[in-house]
Amino acid sequence: MPSLPWTAHQDGSPVDDDTFLESLLAGNGLQAGAGAELRPVADALAALGAHPAGDELTGLAAARDEFRRRVAEPARVRQSHRWRSVGLVSRLGIRVASAAAVAVMGFGGAAAVAYAGALPSSWQQFAHRTIGAPAHGASHEARAATGAAGSAAHRPRSRHTAHQARSGGPPARHGFQYHTRPPHHAGPPPARPFVHLVRPPIVPPAGRWPPPLRNIIHWPVRTEQIGPDASVSNAGSMRGVS
Amino acid sequence: MLVRILGAVFGEEFPAVLAAAQEGSEAAFTRLWLDANPALLRYLRVIAPESAEDAAAETWLQVVRGLRRFRGDEAAWRAWLFTTARRRVIDASRRRSRRREEPLHDAPAEALPVAADAADEAMERLGTQSAIALLGELPRLQAEVVLLRVLAGLDTNAVARLLGRSPGAVRIAGHRGLRRLAEILARAGVTL
Repeated sequence: MPSLPWTAHQDGSPVDDDTFLESLLAGNGLQAGAGAELRPVADALAALGAHPAGDELTGLAAARDEFRRRVAEPARVRQSHRWRSVGLVSRLGIRVASAAAVAVMGFGGAAAVAYAGALPSSWQQFAHRTIGAPAHGASHEARAATGAAGSAAHRPRSRHTAHQARSGGPPARHGFQYHTRPPHHAGPPPARPFVHLVRPPIVPPAGRWPPPLRNIIHWPVRTEQIGPDASVSNAGSMRGVS
Repeated sequence: MLVRILGAVFGEEFPAVLAAAQEGSEAAFTRLWLDANPALLRYLRVIAPESAEDAAAETWLQVVRGLRRFRGDEAAWRAWLFTTARRRVIDASRRRSRRREEPLHDAPAEALPVAADAADEAMERLGTQSAIALLGELPRLQAEVVLLRVLAGLDTNAVARLLGRSPGAVRIAGHRGLRRLAEILARAGVTL
């Protein structure tokens, strides 16, 4: 049994004081009041954390190589992709895409308005000639005819006439009012008229062939009204084709 | 007063250094490596003296692979580093135990490792190598607790999580390790 300096006084010995030991483990060094027995331990722990020696820095090259392969190169590739995707697209592609989107929306919206017959007369006529939209006044005629058919059945058959029946006033100019509530009257719900633009077969007038150009590009409008009783009325007008 | 050279040298700078390394900065990674590798190597030289350098290299390979996914502060970084190192050592010792076919006592005497007397070395000079050798005299758990607390700068709870022990057991092991260290040094006559 070796003779230890503190074995003779176990109680109250600095080595048995956990506070001093905890201070050493926490890296706070030897506290005041600690006995001389703990000084070699403190020195040993200090030597354990001394400056690194040369042989402790030899593995850096291998670690760097792995770092370049695993982290640095993929990061460069990611940044390159990010530049391509964000830089180029943001500077060039977004402008082109925005212009294209605006053009598509503009032309699409104009075409929709033209097919609804809501353009001013000269523009509507232009659309009528270029993209086959209804001619100016054709939709009014179709609505009028549909309204007449509806009133004959004693119920509003179209938005146009429904509005007229409810409000008692003049119909909306272009018939674009959509009523979500059904009209207040008994009986089955009214049929909602659907206006279809149908291209009828071109029948050349007798004795004239080829037909005049306006017969080809002036598509007539034919409205079909489909109700619960599946009745179909053809109230369109055939211009130029008789 | 004990001044810690290794460990916790980044402080508030650590998040920026780590982020730079994760973004691919080699200089930032070099700083992390220079800060941690000596402590890591000293820890490994105590718990796996025969393969410390290999285990350290494998640890860094593993750390580099997971570097971009790591999230945490400096203490978590050190805990991750030493946990990885400890797992490398455990895996290596398992591999060695599977490969070993002849018992140790059948090996020739000249093949047996010659261990220097740690106490004698400590008497000569309490250098780093001597301190490492001295720590090698301790039971494994006590040595690991002392090393992880002093070298890695981890607190009791972090060491407990790393070793899979309770904080109380870790605290007791640390204190016992220091007492044992004092015994060894006193036996060797080092009473400064």
